[in-house]
Amino acid sequence: MIKLLSGNEALAMGAYHAGVKVATAYPGTPSTEILESLARHDDIYAEWSTNEKVAMEVAMGAAFAGIRSLVSLKQVGLNVASDPFMAASTMAVNAGIVIACADDPGIHSSQNEQDDRHYAKLAKVPMLEPSDSQEAYEFMSYAFDISERFDIPTLMLTTTRISHSKSVVQVRQEQTPPAKQADFHYDVEKYVMLPVYAQLRYSLIEERLTKLAAFAETFPFNQVSWGERHLGIITSGVAYQYAREVFPQASFLKLGMTYPLPKNLLLNFAAQVHRLLVIEELDPFLQENIQALGIKVTGKEFIPRTGELNVDIIEKASRSVGLLPEISSQPLKDMSIKLPKRPPQLCPGCPHTGIFFTLSTLGKRSSLTKSQVKTAKESPLVITGDIGCYTLGTYSPFNAMDTCACMGASIGNALGMEKTGIAKKLIAVIGDSTFMHSGITGLVNAVYSEGQITIVILDNRTTAMTGHQDHPGTGISAQGKKTRAIDLEQLVRGIGVSDVRVVDAFNMKQLRNAVRGAVDSTELSVIIVRGTCAMLAPKGSASMVIDAEKCNLCGICLQLGCSAIQRGKKQLYIDSALCAGDRCTICQQICPRQAIHLKSRVESVKLL
Amino acid sequence: MAISCDPLNVVICGVGGQGNILISGLIGNALMKTGYHVTIGETFGASQRGGAVFSTLRISTKRRYGPLIPQGKAHLILGLEPLETLRMLQQYGNPGVVCVANTHPILTIGALSEKEEYPDSSELKKAIVKLSRLAWFVDATGIASKLGATIVVNIIMVGALIGSDQIALKKEDVENEMWNTFPHGKMKLNLRALEMGINNIKL
Repeated sequence: MIKLLSGNEALAMGAYHAGVKVATAYPGTPSTEILESLARHDDIYAEWSTNEKVAMEVAMGAAFAGIRSLVSLKQVGLNVASDPFMAASTMAVNAGIVIACADDPGIHSSQNEQDDRHYAKLAKVPMLEPSDSQEAYEFMSYAFDISERFDIPTLMLTTTRISHSKSVVQVRQEQTPPAKQADFHYDVEKYVMLPVYAQLRYSLIEERLTKLAAFAETFPFNQVSWGERHLGIITSGVAYQYAREVFPQASFLKLGMTYPLPKNLLLNFAAQVHRLLVIEELDPFLQENIQALGIKVTGKEFIPRTGELNVDIIEKASRSVGLLPEISSQPLKDMSIKLPKRPPQLCPGCPHTGIFFTLSTLGKRSSLTKSQVKTAKESPLVITGDIGCYTLGTYSPFNAMDTCACMGASIGNALGMEKTGIAKKLIAVIGDSTFMHSGITGLVNAVYSEGQITIVILDNRTTAMTGHQDHPGTGISAQGKKTRAIDLEQLVRGIGVSDVRVVDAFNMKQLRNAVRGAVDSTELSVIIVRGTCAMLAPKGSASMVIDAEKCNLCGICLQLGCSAIQRGKKQLYIDSALCAGDRCTICQQICPRQAIHLKSRVESVKLL
Repeated sequence: MAISCDPLNVVICGVGGQGNILISGLIGNALMKTGYHVTIGETFGASQRGGAVFSTLRISTKRRYGPLIPQGKAHLILGLEPLETLRMLQQYGNPGVVCVANTHPILTIGALSEKEEYPDSSELKKAIVKLSRLAWFVDATGIASKLGATIVVNIIMVGALIGSDQIALKKEDVENEMWNTFPHGKMKLNLRALEMGINNIKL
């Protein structure tokens, strides 16, 4: 049977057919769809864990009890999970455990471009890298078998281009093997990492690595395909696809298992080609490890170390060193029309619009631009940000975010700045899912340290940016079951915050009063801004319309950055197909001339 | 089973929220079941929120290709929005490229706040014609409004692609995929949209 599957869907199906029974993850582009696909099977357990560290620990627990488990996460998610990941690689796993980790070369939707292949070397675990959906599917059963055979977690590494590209997959079977009876057997030397037992593990770990290297020599997806012998290319993952398109005649050693490396296979291949090249994305991981085996090889001397690779980049780099002939033709372009950029923006009816407008106006931030580098001089507020759709508040017209580092960093960053004695009010902005992920410990720290910062929790009742996954605050499980919801307000009060305000995301007066009150307060405060994500809430029955006779084109409504509010030749108008209508009404509330009002959708269409 | 080039490189572009990914899946699945190797590259993540989005399809009788199309190597561009069509033409165009494009603009945030100009519609159209061997146009958004649902712009554009007869894509195959994709209550509207797309394209 053939199916057109994304890499992530193929990984999920591969894991399901390999008998995974427990799957955990925290959503993160480009890895999210792995757990989403697995959660559709009701004969396994799948959860959105609070964060990646917890996801890893839950998966380890399942493996200890003899059940195959899968953790899926993005490249920076493995940083969060790195403590239990390193632990799992030190101790024994018992049943198979696979970590499906998606890197993001080119930074399509991340805060960095780290190359997580280094984690395989750090943790001394085997690593597989599929180069398309078919391999993503096939590699999963190998990954679990390797994990069990060597009693070690297997790292399955993909990139955005593998995870999010679709290609045809030949699916072997439709059934998942029946569940084994879970059980746990007392063995403290394997499962309790007291120094006395951990010390014993290290000779085993080295021995295991030697055995894995021997296994890599026979791994069927470490494949040589002979072409012309003057050029031999060692490559893996999606880089293989590009390299093959640029050098269709060359000989290839395509590595499906990229750690540890198959030394003899590499030596043999190197000996039979005239010139040896490594083509890989990001760091010279393969290159340096192959060089360490005493093999002379080039690659990163001319292939870029940053950004995503593609056919054009490899071609250009290869021409620069004479691997391909020079050409002079340029792609046809007509640049006579300058094309405006189209960055992502908040949706019409987004519950973040009102709070960002409030922060922007109270913080005098709307006129901040790139050219005015020292934003702090211009604004009485410093706004530390976090990761989610709301990071878009950084952009014009709001300019309402000063920092964004990593998940949960807004609160610690704000406290650190405040403790320097800075003469500005510190406001941390964080989403509900991100707060659950790693904001809670930051808030505990801020309360304990007697911080005077304000934390704005944007409670849109979902993990929006990655495609609306549930989290502990929503009370719905990854598999759609009703479960216990964590009450944000109670949680915050329980930590010891007494100044807690819960406000309606679409009530401008409440928002303004809350922010003003918090700015004037000398104690730590939390504002929970509550409003359902626009993509999950039904549109209101009516649409806003602008009364052209009352409107004096002051343009304040345009400062909302709402894509429903449009500029015609002579007047402003609201696109009724986009407007969230009576669910939002923010533009109506801020219009100084009361020129915006509700009309039924039928009537508002007639007006256009 | 034949395609004019192997691999045949198709770009589908538009604005986040227009349903770009959905139709790349419909087209890809229909072609896969006809027997082609199909690879689709997608850009999504934060860019789905009103940003520029595009999918790349590579269709081959020989092997699985990588997902990305080299610069200047597209054979066909299906544009759900005219500015994005031109943006893709500048990147992937060549003298042999064929375009099938929606004429209805979606303004950019810069144009809305008067910081940038959105190009004049007729200028955009002229530039698209100039950079293409053949360019078909359809007012998909206008048709969708008449049908009472701007959400079907993407399906109208799939119809337009079938109507242009530039790719071995059969109406029945696409309809089958639509039955697999949409709730059956929405099929009447979507089948009508497909039909309108097929019948309304103009060179």
